[in-house]
Amino acid sequence: MLFTASAVILGVAVCWMTHASLTQQLEGRVRAAGGHFAELDRTEGIGGLIAHARAFGGNGPEALDYLVQSPAGRRLAGQLPMVGGRRGWLRLNADGADGPKPVLAYVQQLPDGVVIAVGDDLRRVRRADDAVLRAFALSIAGTLLLGGAGGIWLSRLFLHRVDAMSRTAEAIIDGDLSQRIPLRGTRDDLDRLADTLNRMLDRMQKLLTSVREASNNIAHDLRTPLSRLRQRLEDAREHAGSPAAQDQAVEAAKVEVDALLSTFAALLRIAEVEAGAQRAAFCRVDLTSVVATVAEAFAPSAEEEGRSLAANVASGVVVHGDRELLTQMLVNLVENALRHTPCGTAVRLSLRRQGRQAVLVVQDNGPGIPVAEQEQVLRRFHRLDRSRTTPGSGLGLSLVAAVVELHGAVLRLEDAQPGLRVRVVLASMAESAATIEEPVRSAA
Amino acid sequence: MKILLIEDDRETADYVMRGLREQGHVVDHAANGRDGLFRAGDGPYDVLIVDRMLPGIDGLALVRMLRESEVRTPVLFLTALGGVGDRVRGLDAGGDDYLTKPFAFAELLARVNALARRPPLVEVQTVLRAGDLEMDLLKRSVMRGGREIDLQPREFQLLEYLLHNVERVVTRTMLLESVWEFHFDPRTNIVETHISRLRAKLAQWGGAELIHTVRGAGYALRAPVQVASA
Repeated sequence: MLFTASAVILGVAVCWMTHASLTQQLEGRVRAAGGHFAELDRTEGIGGLIAHARAFGGNGPEALDYLVQSPAGRRLAGQLPMVGGRRGWLRLNADGADGPKPVLAYVQQLPDGVVIAVGDDLRRVRRADDAVLRAFALSIAGTLLLGGAGGIWLSRLFLHRVDAMSRTAEAIIDGDLSQRIPLRGTRDDLDRLADTLNRMLDRMQKLLTSVREASNNIAHDLRTPLSRLRQRLEDAREHAGSPAAQDQAVEAAKVEVDALLSTFAALLRIAEVEAGAQRAAFCRVDLTSVVATVAEAFAPSAEEEGRSLAANVASGVVVHGDRELLTQMLVNLVENALRHTPCGTAVRLSLRRQGRQAVLVVQDNGPGIPVAEQEQVLRRFHRLDRSRTTPGSGLGLSLVAAVVELHGAVLRLEDAQPGLRVRVVLASMAESAATIEEPVRSAA
Repeated sequence: MKILLIEDDRETADYVMRGLREQGHVVDHAANGRDGLFRAGDGPYDVLIVDRMLPGIDGLALVRMLRESEVRTPVLFLTALGGVGDRVRGLDAGGDDYLTKPFAFAELLARVNALARRPPLVEVQTVLRAGDLEMDLLKRSVMRGGREIDLQPREFQLLEYLLHNVERVVTRTMLLESVWEFHFDPRTNIVETHISRLRAKLAQWGGAELIHTVRGAGYALRAPVQVASA
C-alpha cells in the first residue's frame, strides 16, 4: 500500500514536470518563431511573411504552422484556422497531414494591422505525456501486483509459523508435555521466540515431573513409616503394660514421628529449591567462610566417630547464590562422607579458584559409589544397598543436586580410587584481594 | 511474664497457653490479626508470639504496623512456613525470632525466655562473669579463677552466647542458629561435641561444672551455687 502510494505520487510528479517542461519548450519555440516572423514583416513586408508561411508552414513533422491574416480578417496565408479578433496564446485545431491536430499558437498583431500567428503541434507534448503515464501506470500496476503477491506470501509464511506454534500449544494442553515448537533455523524474531517458549516448556515439564515425583515419593516411601507408627501405637494400647512401658512406647512413637517430620521437611525443601523461586533472592556469598565454618563445625564430631576431616580453603572465594542453601548442601555432603564410610576414613574438603570458577571438592577414601549407581544416587530416597540399614532418609544427595541446579553449577561424582570425590563447580564472582591458599586443619 | 499469643489455630493456642501458664506466665490470647493488633497496642507485654498466617491482617503486616507505631515488644513468629526465605522475611518485618511448626514446647519456652530478658544496662558490658569464670569481650580472653584458658574462636563464641543467656536454657537449635548460623538441622550432633570440648577446656584448672545439660531441652550455663561451709 505504501509502495503503491509513493509510486503514484512519484508518477504524478514526474508526469506533471515532464508536461510542464515540454510545454515550456514548446512555448519558447513558438515565441521565438513568432519573434522571427514578426521581424520578417519589417524586413520583407507582407510578401515575405506570406512566402515564409507557404514555404515552411506545415512542412514536415517538426514544422511550425503559420497564419497571416489581413487587417480585414481575410486569410492571406498559412495553415492555422482563422483567429478573428483573438490575440495572445490560443489553442487551435489545425488540419494536419494526418488529420486534425491540436496546436498551441501565439497570435500577435503587427503594427500595420496584419495579424500573424505561429503554432506548434501539441500532440508531441501529449505523446510524451502519454508515454510517461503509460510507463508509470505499468510500474504502479507491477508494484501493486508484486506487493500484493509478496505481502500475501509473507503473511502466509508468518501465519504458517504461528500456526505451528498454536498446534504445539494445543498438543501440550491436551497432555503431551514433551511437544516442542519446531525451529526453522532462520534465527529471526519468530525463531527466537520459539526457542524461548521451548525453554519455558522445558522448565514447566521439569517442575511438573518434580511435583509428580514428590507425590509418588510421599505416597510410597512415607506410607511405610506411618503404617509402622500406627502399628506401634495400636500395639501399645493393646498390650497396656506398666505406665513405664507405656511411657516408653509413647516416646518411641514420638521419635518415629520426628523422623517422619524431618523427612517431610527435607522433601519440602527439595521441592522448594527445585521450583527455583529462591534465585530471585541471590546475593554475594563468601564461600570461603561457608566452607571454613562447616569444616570447623564437623571436625570434632568426625574425630569422635573415628574419622578425620581436613580442609584446604582458598581465601576470598565469592559466589552469587543463597548462603543457607549452599551451607546445607555442603553439610549434606560432609555428613554423607562421615556416615557412609567405615572407621578410619579420611575426609577432605577443598575450595579453590580455577579461572572464573570456584571448585568445591568433598573427597573421602572410603568404599565410594559404584559407577552404575552414580546417577540414581541423586534421586530421592535412593539408598545404596549396603547403606540400607544405616539411619538416613536418602534425601541428602537429592537436596545437593537441587541446590547445584538452582545455582547453575555443575555436580560431578567421581571415583577417587579409592573412595568418592564429589565436585561442585560454580561461577565465581569478582576477584578478591588475597589469592593465597590458607590451609585450615582440624584439631586432629 | 506477660505474654500475648496471636494464633488462630485452637489446638496450637491451647497447647502453647497451657504450657506457658504452667511455667508461671500470664498469657492473653487473640484469635485473629485485628484483635491481636488492638491488644498488643494496649499492652504492655513482655513478649508477643505471632502466627504468620492469620485471618484478617497477616502476621507480617501486623508486626510491621506495630513497629511503625513504636511498639518495641519482642516478637516471636510461630509459623508453618519454613521456606528458605521465610525466616528472613519475618525478621525483616520486625520480628526478633522465628520458630517453625511443629516445635517442641521446650524450644518455644527457651526462646521466649531469651527474648524477654531485661534490657541491657546503660553501659555496654565488656566483661561477662559467672562464678569464677570471666570473659573479656574486648581482649577476647577467658579466665577461670584468674588463670587464662585458651579457646578457639568458635569455642569463644559458644561460651559468649551461653554467658549472655546465663541461668537460662538454650536449646540446640538456638545454638546452631546463633553460633554457627545453621538454619537447618544437621543430623550429626555437632553442638554436643563442641559443648563437651568446651567443658573439658573450662575444667582444665579445676572448678565446678558450669555448663549443664537440661534433659529434653538443651544446655544452661549456671554459676555454681555457693555452698555455705559449715
